[in-house]
Amino acid sequence: MKTAIQVEGLSKRYGQHEAVKGISFTVEQGTLFAFLGANGAGKSTTIEILCTLLKKTSGTVSINGYTLDASRDNAEIRKSIGVVFQESLLDERLTVRENIWHRGKMYGLSKKELMDNYQFVSSYLHLGDIEDKKYGKCSGGQKRRADIARALIHRPQILFLDEPTTGLDPQTRQFVWKTIKQLQAETNMTVFLTTHYMEEAAMAHQIVILRQGEIVAKGTPDMLKTAYAYDQMELVFHNAQEGEQWLMEQNISYTEKQGIYTIRVESTLAALSILKQVEPLIASFEVMKGTMDDVFIHIMEQGGAA
Amino acid sequence: MEAIVSLVGRNSKVFRRDKTSVFFSLLSVIIVIVLYALFLQKMQVDSIKQVTEATPQMITMVNEWLIAGLLSMIAVTTTLASFGLAIKDIETKASADFLTAPVSRAAIQMGYVLNAFIIGSVFSFIALIGCEIYIVATGGAWLSFTSLLKVVGILLLSVLLASLFNVVIVMMVHTLNAFSTLSTIVGTLLGFLCGVYVPIGALPSFAQNIIMYFPISHTTLLLRNAFMESSLADVFAGAPAEAEEQYKLMYGVTYKLHDNVLSLSTSYIIIAVTIAVLAVLSITLFHRREKRLG
Repeated sequence: MKTAIQVEGLSKRYGQHEAVKGISFTVEQGTLFAFLGANGAGKSTTIEILCTLLKKTSGTVSINGYTLDASRDNAEIRKSIGVVFQESLLDERLTVRENIWHRGKMYGLSKKELMDNYQFVSSYLHLGDIEDKKYGKCSGGQKRRADIARALIHRPQILFLDEPTTGLDPQTRQFVWKTIKQLQAETNMTVFLTTHYMEEAAMAHQIVILRQGEIVAKGTPDMLKTAYAYDQMELVFHNAQEGEQWLMEQNISYTEKQGIYTIRVESTLAALSILKQVEPLIASFEVMKGTMDDVFIHIMEQGGAA
Repeated sequence: MEAIVSLVGRNSKVFRRDKTSVFFSLLSVIIVIVLYALFLQKMQVDSIKQVTEATPQMITMVNEWLIAGLLSMIAVTTTLASFGLAIKDIETKASADFLTAPVSRAAIQMGYVLNAFIIGSVFSFIALIGCEIYIVATGGAWLSFTSLLKVVGILLLSVLLASLFNVVIVMMVHTLNAFSTLSTIVGTLLGFLCGVYVPIGALPSFAQNIIMYFPISHTTLLLRNAFMESSLADVFAGAPAEAEEQYKLMYGVTYKLHDNVLSLSTSYIIIAVTIAVLAVLSITLFHRREKRLG
């Protein structure tokens, strides 16, 4: 597999504050790559550096084989990337089509190429019903469709999306995700996105988790889940005192909240053997499979490295 | 090149569709027209009547005087308003989208400057046509072909001067709030600095000097000369030469700085030198800003 993005010891300093602290990672071509972190973790700073918007302090970055900030290479990088920003940035007073055309013309495409590309993005993102509508009059979801279409107008090899679903309603979020996944699968485009929703990151091939400018975990969703997520069981006892005593006798650590005792189990099946023993004491139980949210929360709490 | 053309097209469309911005860019001009209709015209006519016989041509001459002032103001206010988009793009981060495309920052900046020049020119020409129709409708004559060419030339020069003047001051503000304050200040001061709200001769001498040192007021002066050439001769045909000189000095058709009457070529030189200085200054400021951003 070829490498689409190679980042080595990247750091960004604003005065005394170091927003990104020497991070390294690789994005393979044709994969969906998620950059995860809480607000202020350095996600946006990193994506802005990769998109040539911000100058790095140190480190080396290569995108599509071009070296970032090397003479003339930035223009080549810009030709090969498309960017969907967190905010909707197109011109409110222009129609969706005008917006995309004006920006498409900045890539030095021939009229024919531009027309073909427009046909492609228009059908891909179902622009038919909104292309003659003023961008400012579009709904949040329609704007997002236009934003993605604009980012794709020059058929880039890498698509960057900075928190593409933040602030969208659930239906639109789903549409955006479906489109991103479909694009990646059908056109073999490399997709690099940032998010703070773990469930979204779980759909990626690779995840990098960032905390305070440092990478605290990276790997495939499965790897991270195995390392950081575990299943849990909630128990409600007939008699809380008896229940507590039993848990202590069995040497099982627990947390208690409003009469609900939560214990950690190796797997959902392992819960069965505990249940058999504790059955006479409990009024109800619930077994919960570990989720990607747990991964995020646990990593943020412990700050481990995988 | 295609990128710049496309950027200019985009900037122009966005500006033109923002009707409020267009209206406010013409506000100070509208104020002048109202002031003129209320009393400025009558004041001027009355004072000329004291030195020469009242004729219909006198009204035409006074109207032409006003039009010269209006057109030189429009060049500044419309170009300034069109730069509002540059500030808005920075404030709303819309410029990020252009910066990730393969166009240089210089091309993006050029897109705003060229747009300002085009917007300023188009508005000036529309205003010129409107003013000429007004002159003819109120009994005056069309500008002769040579005068018209001269006027068009001076207009293009004033729009160029105004575009560069505004790009320099716009580079010093970073928020829309600051920009709208700046626009208000420029719009208000401009009428005084070009001797349109109050005739230059009615001001104390230090204020007169400020006006004469203000390069944009020289475009007003040149336009007055181009517009009023034939009507001046007609109106003051029967009056003593000093009366005409008095009028020209009073109403800023001629400048007298430190006891020297400035020739029209001096005004052209002042404008040309200012254009050159502003061009160099704007490029320098642009590079400094780029360095800081990097």
